[in-house]
Amino acid sequence: MAEISFPLPDLGEGLIEATVLEWLVSPGDQVERNQPLVEVETSKSAVELPSPQAGKVVRTFGGAGDRITVGEPLIVFEVPDNTAGIVGTVPKDEAPTRRVRLSAVLDED
Amino acid sequence: MSGRHTGEMHSHTVEGTDPQLYVEVHDPASDAGLRPVLLLHGFSSSSKLNWHDTGWVAALLEAGRRIITVDLPGHGRSGAPEDMDSYSPSRIRADLLQIAFDAGVRPLHDGDPASGVDVVGYSLGARLAWEFGATQPEIVHRLVLGGPNIADPLAAFDLIAAQHYLADGTPIADESTAGLLKMAMLLPSNNIFALLSLVDAIKAEPFDPAEAVPHMPMLLVAGDQDERAATMPQLAELGIRAGSMAEQLTLPGRNHANAITSRAFKQGAIAFLGV
Repeated sequence: MAEISFPLPDLGEGLIEATVLEWLVSPGDQVERNQPLVEVETSKSAVELPSPQAGKVVRTFGGAGDRITVGEPLIVFEVPDNTAGIVGTVPKDEAPTRRVRLSAVLDED
Repeated sequence: MSGRHTGEMHSHTVEGTDPQLYVEVHDPASDAGLRPVLLLHGFSSSSKLNWHDTGWVAALLEAGRRIITVDLPGHGRSGAPEDMDSYSPSRIRADLLQIAFDAGVRPLHDGDPASGVDVVGYSLGARLAWEFGATQPEIVHRLVLGGPNIADPLAAFDLIAAQHYLADGTPIADESTAGLLKMAMLLPSNNIFALLSLVDAIKAEPFDPAEAVPHMPMLLVAGDQDERAATMPQLAELGIRAGSMAEQLTLPGRNHANAITSRAFKQGAIAFLGV
């Protein structure tokens, strides 16, 4: 078995840190990929982070009310040896990217 | 986990004009056979911020629910019409009704758990949900009202002060106005002038919950640190007096900004709507 550590991902909009609201998993839990891991709050909004990885939770960093900087460790998983060594990123379940703007910008016509 | 979804600009005209609202319909991978859930976000938010990023869409799909999300005018991916009428709460409710029917919502029918629609609203979305439930009893089955308030805080918004601030930086004296405007300006995707049009339209049609009270069962949810929802028990009382079943759920340690991600909130709503 090997361990994989994931940092707090870039939350966009130039945010550099987030405050932990509540962990939804505990050390020892077996989690699936995309299963909600933790709720965090930034200066702009509260978000739920899905798991980037299936595996057993070894450690979580920060309790409710603690601040974590983007890039600092957030969670460590234990995974079978042959799946370790992959640098992971937290996937986002993106909304459809199609964007329709109907407000005409007349000045540019 | 997530099934099919489609997102599109809603283009069915209502009363002769196109509301330019952005609608998404999400189908669960495994359908529980229950009616769809309409999600209404709050002021200065969007379906993405209020329902996707917070885990609501994933949790409802996991529970087998079909979901309809709508971005309010001037918010998210919806258009920002120039006419004031597009922002009035009554006009938005008419647009929501058209959107619900276009998404396949059918009138409630006894013994058919797939008929009708459940509505979940947060903050301003809770006000719209209350009014939508009160005026559309033939389609609304149950309501979940998050961060609800007996009076809309936007009705007391100082528009003149906000316009002065935007023009030349004159500080805003009213704390609530300053806070709301700051929140609105934090998100680059917000169209500030459209949001101010919405505030203006709300001032013309302030929330009067006693005027029309929903009779379907409702669940009211707020953080115990949420000052904007301190009047939640009064709203529940209005519902109960009108003969509705009104349950309340208080989330320890949560405020108006961070109650939305709460697992207890989601689980409470899913259980309440799972009948």
